Amino acid sequence: MTTARQTWAVTRYEFRMQIRKRSLWITTAVLAVVLTLTQGDRGPRHLPLGTPPREVMAGWALLMSILLPIGFGMVLADRLTRDRRLGLASLLESLPTGRGALVAGKYLGGLASTAVPAALVLLTAAAAETAHRHDPALFAWAVVAFALITLPGLAFVTAFALVCPLLTTAPLFRVLFVGYWFWGNMLNPDLFPSLTGTLLTPLGDYPATWLMGERALYAGADGWLEFLRPQPGGTTTVLAIALLLLLSLPPLALAPPLLRRRNLSA
Amino acid sequence: MDIQITGLRRTFGKVTALDGLDLAVPGGMYGLLGTNGAGKTTLMRVLAGVLPPTAGTVRVGGHDLTTRTGRLAVQRRLGYLPQDLGLYPDLSAQEFLDYVGLLKGLDDTAARRRQIGELLDMVGLTDAVGRKLRGFSGGMRRRVGIAQALLGDPALVVVDEPTAGLDPEERIRFRTLLASIAAGRTVLLSTHIVEDVAQTCRDTAVMARGRVVFNGPVADIVQRAEGITWELVGQGPPPAGGVVVSAVSRSDGTHYRLVSPTRPDPRAVPVQPSLEEGYVALMHAGTSA
Repeated sequence: MTTARQTWAVTRYEFRMQIRKRSLWITTAVLAVVLTLTQGDRGPRHLPLGTPPREVMAGWALLMSILLPIGFGMVLADRLTRDRRLGLASLLESLPTGRGALVAGKYLGGLASTAVPAALVLLTAAAAETAHRHDPALFAWAVVAFALITLPGLAFVTAFALVCPLLTTAPLFRVLFVGYWFWGNMLNPDLFPSLTGTLLTPLGDYPATWLMGERALYAGADGWLEFLRPQPGGTTTVLAIALLLLLSLPPLALAPPLLRRRNLSA
Repeated sequence: MDIQITGLRRTFGKVTALDGLDLAVPGGMYGLLGTNGAGKTTLMRVLAGVLPPTAGTVRVGGHDLTTRTGRLAVQRRLGYLPQDLGLYPDLSAQEFLDYVGLLKGLDDTAARRRQIGELLDMVGLTDAVGRKLRGFSGGMRRRVGIAQALLGDPALVVVDEPTAGLDPEERIRFRTLLASIAAGRTVLLSTHIVEDVAQTCRDTAVMARGRVVFNGPVADIVQRAEGITWELVGQGPPPAGGVVVSAVSRSDGTHYRLVSPTRPDPRAVPVQPSLEEGYVALMHAGTSA
């Protein structure tokens, strides 16, 4: 019970500290504006009137997933390492709070703090589309698209952004993360072996394809690791989401001993 | 809450920070003196449960710190102010204390807030309660640090170099505060500033090279320098053959006070030693001094 309360305490304060960071909001705003203005003819802004709201909001969620997680990964990269940098690691180690509770709270708080601006971006898009298309169902589909396309990817990115800098450094992680993001999510698998279009893509390609009823980006496209590229559909959408959430667990499980090793070396 | 340490060793690779240290701290305000690198901070970190010992036993209030249950039992009754404690810059003092209070397991919201209010009042930060910590001065940060250490009314308070870097007025204020909280609990004050211990502690231990080289009343340290403390007025460079403790320039020349086992100069006269000179004599026992 005490561990649950301490996890909740860390979650609350981690969220509070992170949500107040100006860089989080500036990053979100800049990337959202850039994506909105540079979307091509196939972007959701250009879908004809009468397009089902499900497709419109799935398109917006996928569009935002192209770059927003990069920004969030950058912002979250120092959340576990900064306690030591700020001179708080010794104090935190002296408290009767387990490292597991600390890591879980940092994860949940970090995830919540990036989910809020991401959700606000989608709701803003839904509001703009509602003004244009006069269909209030867009808001409901914004919530669905957020839950299926955006959130699993954020859960995945948050876990790795928190833990990987314990093995490297936050700046090096940021460089590697940008490289991974473009290699594993955007690179055409026809041209180069990559994770693009597989079930492991945190971009939300499989859920977006399922919601839109047609291939959103590369989901299921032929390429490297064929067994990870089943035809998109309801089942594979669930599988893709479950895999992303499962893949978030190993780094979180590794974090407490990594944190201990790091603090003991101080 | 008494502390019993026997044969404590802590190594970092090939570096030995604590080398078979023995120490018994009965309670009340207790000083821990030593030069930089003597092993004080490592000892503080072991006592706070941050570092496990490499060897030896550490019992605090009867709990064995080398076991998980013992460590947790101690940490529930511990207040720790680490050396160079940082703070979250985006939180206010009240928020930071609330966060630490929650992590200490103070779940009753009303009681926790009441205690935070009392502690902020005690450390003189009531007026700055809502301000972000990023704007706090060094002294104010140290006061937030001691407030967080006192959350939960701990039986053992471990403070590591709390006055280093503070201006004289803030230092006096801070050590008075430390002395005032010692009633009914054990306060272990680690410092390299002799005067802080002289003004606040009856008993102290002195560490050198990972061991305790003195353990007893502060006044006894002075005796170590009796008969070997000298004053000399000279015009040139400081005399060789002793440790110069002070040099004050006056109209008739420079007044040197130094610790030396033999008269360092025919003009040198023996004087009554101070605590600082006793400390120097202790640290240089067996060497040239």
